[in-house]
Amino acid sequence: MAASQQQHLFGGGRQRLYPWLLLFPGLGFYLLIGVGPSLATAVYSFTDATGIRGLPISWVGWDNYDEFIFRGARSRDNIDALQRTLIFMALVTIVQFGLGLVMALLVNQKLRGRLVFRTLFFVPVILGVAVQGLMWKLFLRPGGGPMHEIFSLFGLESQFLGGPNAFYWVIVVQIWANAGFTMVIFLAGMQTVPADLYEAASVDGAVGWQLFRNVTWPQLTPAVNTNFLLNIVGSLQAWMLFLVLTGYRNGTNVLGYVVYAEAFGQTSASSFRQGYAAAASIVLFLLVLALGMAANAVVARRERKYMS
Amino acid sequence: MTAVTEPAPLVVIRNDGGRRRRGVRTRIASYGMLLLLAAFYTGPLLILIFASMKTLPEFFRDPTGLPESLSLDNFTEAWGLANFPGYLMNSLIYTVVATTLFVIMSVFVAFPIARGYVKGSAALLTLYVVALFLPPALIPQFQLILNLGLFNTRTGYILLFLINPIGLIILVNYIKSIPRELDESAVMDGCGYFRFVWSILIPLIRPAIATVTVLHAIGIWNELILATVYLTNDDLYPITRGLIVFEGVYGSDWPKLAAAVLMLMFPMLVLYMFLQRYIISGLTSGAVKG
Repeated sequence: MAASQQQHLFGGGRQRLYPWLLLFPGLGFYLLIGVGPSLATAVYSFTDATGIRGLPISWVGWDNYDEFIFRGARSRDNIDALQRTLIFMALVTIVQFGLGLVMALLVNQKLRGRLVFRTLFFVPVILGVAVQGLMWKLFLRPGGGPMHEIFSLFGLESQFLGGPNAFYWVIVVQIWANAGFTMVIFLAGMQTVPADLYEAASVDGAVGWQLFRNVTWPQLTPAVNTNFLLNIVGSLQAWMLFLVLTGYRNGTNVLGYVVYAEAFGQTSASSFRQGYAAAASIVLFLLVLALGMAANAVVARRERKYMS
Repeated sequence: MTAVTEPAPLVVIRNDGGRRRRGVRTRIASYGMLLLLAAFYTGPLLILIFASMKTLPEFFRDPTGLPESLSLDNFTEAWGLANFPGYLMNSLIYTVVATTLFVIMSVFVAFPIARGYVKGSAALLTLYVVALFLPPALIPQFQLILNLGLFNTRTGYILLFLINPIGLIILVNYIKSIPRELDESAVMDGCGYFRFVWSILIPLIRPAIATVTVLHAIGIWNELILATVYLTNDDLYPITRGLIVFEGVYGSDWPKLAAAVLMLMFPMLVLYMFLQRYIISGLTSGAVKG
């Protein structure tokens, strides 16, 4: 290999240290603030750490996990939150994937104004949860918001974010906020499909759905796989819109929010239980890992089917 | 056969009667769906704009309709009521300082990794790729900042934004596309390592730098959670956190709140108008790696 020669490319002696010296700040911060704390989460999950500086931290073994999953009424809330996280993931993934694909197909046609539509669908992605959340809080204002008026046209009544279905309204906002991202990835994929494939297929008499089924869909495999994985992993970890839209409230919480609330004193029962929250965080991480790997296996099978 | 040359048409329109009629119908259906989606996407924004121009009594009388007059009073009032200039200044400081530091440090990490100029560069790159699958760093990070005495300080808050694995991967991939011969001829001309990276490489990888800069800056500008966790002093709040505080105090005064939300949104929209190419290429390339 030429690697040894390349290492000396920029001169010998002291010059040879320069790449390392200049690499060090970036890498150092990355290890200190990113990778290190990330791995340390597992260690903290076996302690009774709090968020108060100087308080001694002691080892508690599997206690946090035991309490989180098995003990008392709050563990039942945690199991509920876990279930809700899975429902959130399933609904967001299915709808966002479908909506993103439909939007991409629509704006990929040669239609007047397609750039305007593309921009409209994408803009929410860059707005951030504070803006996204507050915007929808106004739109879903019970007793006088636009959605309230739409509902009353059909003789319906809802408390929206204040009512029992708040969880599902957050899902609507989550999809609204992120489907543009899914769309953009599909669009990038569609632009790589060679035009002569369509030509060949249409010479064979394929139209509409057949073109999509036999040309677009298989050619889109990389984008389909990316979106599938990103939607699953992203929706399992998403919880920030709950913070803005509903606040910490039983009946709506997902696991990510439980972690944050336990760690930073947002629950009524406790404050700053960071060891316990770290255990919750590891539970969520294992869930993401398991489902991510399952999704990855599906994706790999698709790739063998379409790309070989 | 005119339409078949376009990149990826949904439906190919050919020059015979039945097919063309089918094309027209597809077109009408497409517009119908697009308009429906556009309503879903613009609805919340339009309502927000309408609300921001109403007086409070007018809003309570008619929360959804068009405003009676085009008044910007709510904007000036919201600006004065909350510590908006202060929040905005904080957001700018955090975004500019952290993004600048991050991008400069990252180029010096990405270049030797992309070229294999440091031992174990493949392993280093892996370290950045797996980061996307590691557990969240939130809690130990908090303990670290707390014990460093940087809780509730600007320095501590900025420190949190000096990392971005996806940004680094984008840089590495772009640098790989720059021919290696360039390094060799620069060395022949007696160019040193630092000078090469700083004044030859950086101008060459400007598109990737622009992408990473924009993505990183948007992330910091929009950050709400870390601002909630690490900052407790109103003077240090970025504008996102300031907005949530504002909501807590003036929550029922939607016209002013709407004006405040629009003021937070505005810089992002302007940025998007000018830099959408970089934003979209960054998001898609980062995503494919993720």
